[in-house]
Amino acid sequence: MTTTAPSLAGSERNLLEAYRPPRAPGYDEMLDAHGHVRPHWRSFLAGLTDLADDDRRTRAQRLERRVRDTGIAYDIFADPNKPSQRWQLDLAPIIISSGEWRWLQGALTQRARIFDAVLADLYGEQKLMRDGLVPPDLIFSDGAFLRPCQGILPKAGHLQFYAADLARSVDGQWRVIDNHTETLAGIGFALANRVVHTHFTSDLFKQCNAVRLAAYFQDLQSALARHSGRDNARVALLTPGPHHPDYFSHTYLARYLGYLLVEGNDLRTRGNQVYLKTLEGLKEIDLILRCVDGRSIDPLELDAGGFDGPAGLTRVSRKTPQLVVNAVGSALAQNRGLGPYLPKLARHILGEDLALPDAPRWWLGDKAARAHTLGNLDHLVIRKVQEGTGRPGQAALGQDTRSLAADQRDILKREIELLGAQLVAEEKIGFSTAPAFDGSRLAPQPFAIRFFVAHTATGYQAMPGGLAMTVDPAKAVALSAPDGHTRDVWVTADAEQAPHVSLWRPALETARVQRSQRAIQSRVADDLFWLGRYAERADWIMRVLRGALRRVEDVSGPATGRRAARKCLLTLLAPPGDEASRSATRDPPADAEIEQLCTRVITSFSGIRTLEPTFTGLYRVAHLTRDRLSLEAWQTLSRFRPGDTWAKSLLSGSPATVLDALDEGLASVAAFNGLMHENMTRNFGWSFLDMGRRLERAFNLSEAVRALFSPMPDPDVEASSLLLLLELADSFITYRSRYRLDPMLPLVLDLLLLDEDNPRSLAFQLAAISDHLDGLPDARQGVSLPEDRRLILSLLTNIRLAEIEVIAKEATGAGLERLMLQPITLLPQLSTAVSRHYFNLIEDAPHRLHTRSEPRR
Amino acid sequence: MIFEINHKTHYRYSSPVAQSQHLVHMSPRVVRRQTIRNHSLIVEPAPAMRYEGTDAFGNPVVILDIEVPHREFVLHARSTIETLAPDPINLAITAPWDRVDDAVRTRDGHIDLEVVQFRSPSRLTQATPAIADYTAASFPADRPVLEGALDFTLRIYRDFKFDPTATDVSTPVTRVFAQRRGVCQDFAHLAIAGLRALRVPARYVSGYILTRPPPGQQKLQGTDASHAWISVWAPEAGWVDFDPTNGMIVGDEHITIAHGRDYDDVSPISGVLIGGGEHTVSVGVDVAETP
Repeated sequence: MTTTAPSLAGSERNLLEAYRPPRAPGYDEMLDAHGHVRPHWRSFLAGLTDLADDDRRTRAQRLERRVRDTGIAYDIFADPNKPSQRWQLDLAPIIISSGEWRWLQGALTQRARIFDAVLADLYGEQKLMRDGLVPPDLIFSDGAFLRPCQGILPKAGHLQFYAADLARSVDGQWRVIDNHTETLAGIGFALANRVVHTHFTSDLFKQCNAVRLAAYFQDLQSALARHSGRDNARVALLTPGPHHPDYFSHTYLARYLGYLLVEGNDLRTRGNQVYLKTLEGLKEIDLILRCVDGRSIDPLELDAGGFDGPAGLTRVSRKTPQLVVNAVGSALAQNRGLGPYLPKLARHILGEDLALPDAPRWWLGDKAARAHTLGNLDHLVIRKVQEGTGRPGQAALGQDTRSLAADQRDILKREIELLGAQLVAEEKIGFSTAPAFDGSRLAPQPFAIRFFVAHTATGYQAMPGGLAMTVDPAKAVALSAPDGHTRDVWVTADAEQAPHVSLWRPALETARVQRSQRAIQSRVADDLFWLGRYAERADWIMRVLRGALRRVEDVSGPATGRRAARKCLLTLLAPPGDEASRSATRDPPADAEIEQLCTRVITSFSGIRTLEPTFTGLYRVAHLTRDRLSLEAWQTLSRFRPGDTWAKSLLSGSPATVLDALDEGLASVAAFNGLMHENMTRNFGWSFLDMGRRLERAFNLSEAVRALFSPMPDPDVEASSLLLLLELADSFITYRSRYRLDPMLPLVLDLLLLDEDNPRSLAFQLAAISDHLDGLPDARQGVSLPEDRRLILSLLTNIRLAEIEVIAKEATGAGLERLMLQPITLLPQLSTAVSRHYFNLIEDAPHRLHTRSEPRR
Repeated sequence: MIFEINHKTHYRYSSPVAQSQHLVHMSPRVVRRQTIRNHSLIVEPAPAMRYEGTDAFGNPVVILDIEVPHREFVLHARSTIETLAPDPINLAITAPWDRVDDAVRTRDGHIDLEVVQFRSPSRLTQATPAIADYTAASFPADRPVLEGALDFTLRIYRDFKFDPTATDVSTPVTRVFAQRRGVCQDFAHLAIAGLRALRVPARYVSGYILTRPPPGQQKLQGTDASHAWISVWAPEAGWVDFDPTNGMIVGDEHITIAHGRDYDDVSPISGVLIGGGEHTVSVGVDVAETP
């Protein structure tokens, strides 16, 4: 037969060259035992084969870059010099057939129903323990059993979110290796993977007729809206903050679902309500999507050291049990020791057989299980019954007993006898393999998948997809991805699919016109203010560097230009208020000296206006405000990430290379500013971002004018200084089109200081700040003008009244010095006044107080 | 006996407290040999919200939310309580300790969760093998459980030195065991950790004890204090209280406020403040016998 085109067959053979031979042991997702491609993989494999080698490679590379730019699993607090856990996303997904998915969906939701009922009972009547279906010691020795939540959880509605880590063992059967009932378990990672992945695989996705995720999230959204019991509910996704390994997932999900991203300190309780601290005062919260550990959510009644939520939340929940999902205390159901008891519970609670069992597991609080384990230590791994909710893929691997020396083994035995109730023993199950793309070929790699389940109007639903990770089968008993290699999970559909819906574009029926300003947390306003300042500061420093290096490069240019550039560089390097650097010598500096100063501005860690700390600050606050930035805006800043190769090109190269790099950097900041300007809603958040930028620009400009013209330079230096100043303030073209003259001091000063139509002038910045402040709520509400309003009024009046022609004619430059000293002194005060006025709603962090009984005998 | 108890706690803060919330276990619970004649809890400044309820262990609990800025906070609990001496028990007829585990059943044959819950270690009562071994010396095979408990109580009394400077509220039981020093709450935690390691149900009791002045002297005001001891369960006798700090079975001079798994469950006052800076606290307790 020659019906198959030989080229296709050849290409497929190439792609599969490294793949397993037929009849290899174990189970493979793509090839059956005879080496035939399973039916649900055929479209994908054909599609992939059809692509040119180059195309496949390019797609994989672009995918990698996109993952990096999106910042999935980027840890801002990690040491940039150490290789952090990378997040890779494979070009090849794992494909699940529609038939198998129907079974999985049934099996997963059955487990959710069991855990839902188990939790309601354990925090309610506790019949399951009384009747011996759940061993009491298992529950009472679990720190996740939160006694104050007794009676609250059963009234909180269904277990909203459940996730399960599954592996297919070598016999082809799915097994649960871990359960997650505490938080949303990193669903944002799965969503981000899908969004990024389909950028480069949408044709293949369509060919496979794979199911999209949007419908699932829409159902979830309406389920949460109904749960909150209010139209237009204010929903907050509560995160532990940027230090948490799942923070990316939290921000991504909050953005996608359109919820507020809040931290414990943004909230407080009062009476029977939880409030958000905003610029306009306290705002009621209707629903909290909990992404923090339950026990650390209320320092008053739960863990005394846990400040991830507002003190008093448990008290509020007694009145409004539906306020928090998942309800606090839900982690109890993920206790690994429950595994062996699930088959009986399924029959008892649901009258059904358990469809999907856990991996073989023994709870060591049980005498018989303990005896079995101590007799079979070599085949078993010892794990804790409960572990925290870290990033997917970072599960602890447990204690492999084979490597233990005899005396360590005795210690372990003793521990098992004493603390067995908090331990399980597990058999390792094998892992099935699925193809991973290595750049040229497909190779089989073992994996495990996290599936997500949520409660919706139609009962429990499983998300038709998942987060797959490549595991090391020699070690893994859990979803552990040592190299951060992940894969998307596609579920094929039988039927034609409904047209594409996405939550980014809600249907008209569900959308409501909303003009009211979304609440801005005081903390976020603070971060946005600094985002504006850092972006502008980075821009300014790079302009100074560019101006200086251009004058080095331009060998035919006048030496006076280098003298002017040196003044500006020294200003950047001087500590604030330092006057010594201003008495620079009058000799034209050598190129070497300019280059040396530039290097100091680029590399020095000290000083607030050198490049390194500015970029670090910029990237850090951008990270903190991630949920307010568009993906594009975020991507424009990616080159400022500490350790990025771009930053290195600033260090190594010749002036020409550095100049190129500076142009790129300036283009990035300009793109960022442009995106923010065009895309950001004009709410209070915008006011603070823009104020930060204006304040920084006004300050830098004032300093530069003072550095260059006070004392007044010689006429030839004056000309060069004017040119440099126009360049720094990006107003050269404006000047030329207006005057068609060589720069003259009075004209340049008028354009850059007084002209309120020039968006680069000092007066423009001050007027803009004044407008923003007028539009902000006065949280103080006193009779007299608040400090910030007083300062800006004085600054603006002073510049508006300045007689620039008189000042420019003064030979000493004393008038100009006075004029510039005012903003140089008052702008920092204004910055402080703004934070005192608006950000101090971030009160002191709450702290805990204890008394101890000190009895005497 | 009838007691008048005054328990006053006075906090002073160096800067104003914007909001404070407190969880208070100062109201006595009803126990078998104890009648509450009278009780009041006065709070200053007046809280915006005062919730009175029962916690998961059946103790009365008061939760306060104070919304007015304040620099001082006063809690004053006054109780009149009558106690009866417990019935005399023959410790020797209680079940062997190594058979208690299977006996924790209610009359209808179900597992008695009210008892079982005090058999599992809690955060402050995690035992080590060394603590388990120390405890086991009082519990040879087949020994009646309460006989063992009394022996164990007396050993702690003999082996450990009362020393308020040796520990603070966060000292783990392992350090208490290693340095053989502590206060009543440390001895209670240690005893509970040891008993639970042998799967003997034991719980933490907080309350007061009547103190007597040295012979020939007047009793001083405010010199009493909160006290803590343990309660051990036997199928025949139910819960029986032992005081390791004083080396005795509890009689009618101990007044129970609350019981739980450990101190965390029943701490008299805990609070979360916003603001306040440094604070000082003065506590005065008076336990007076009324004729």
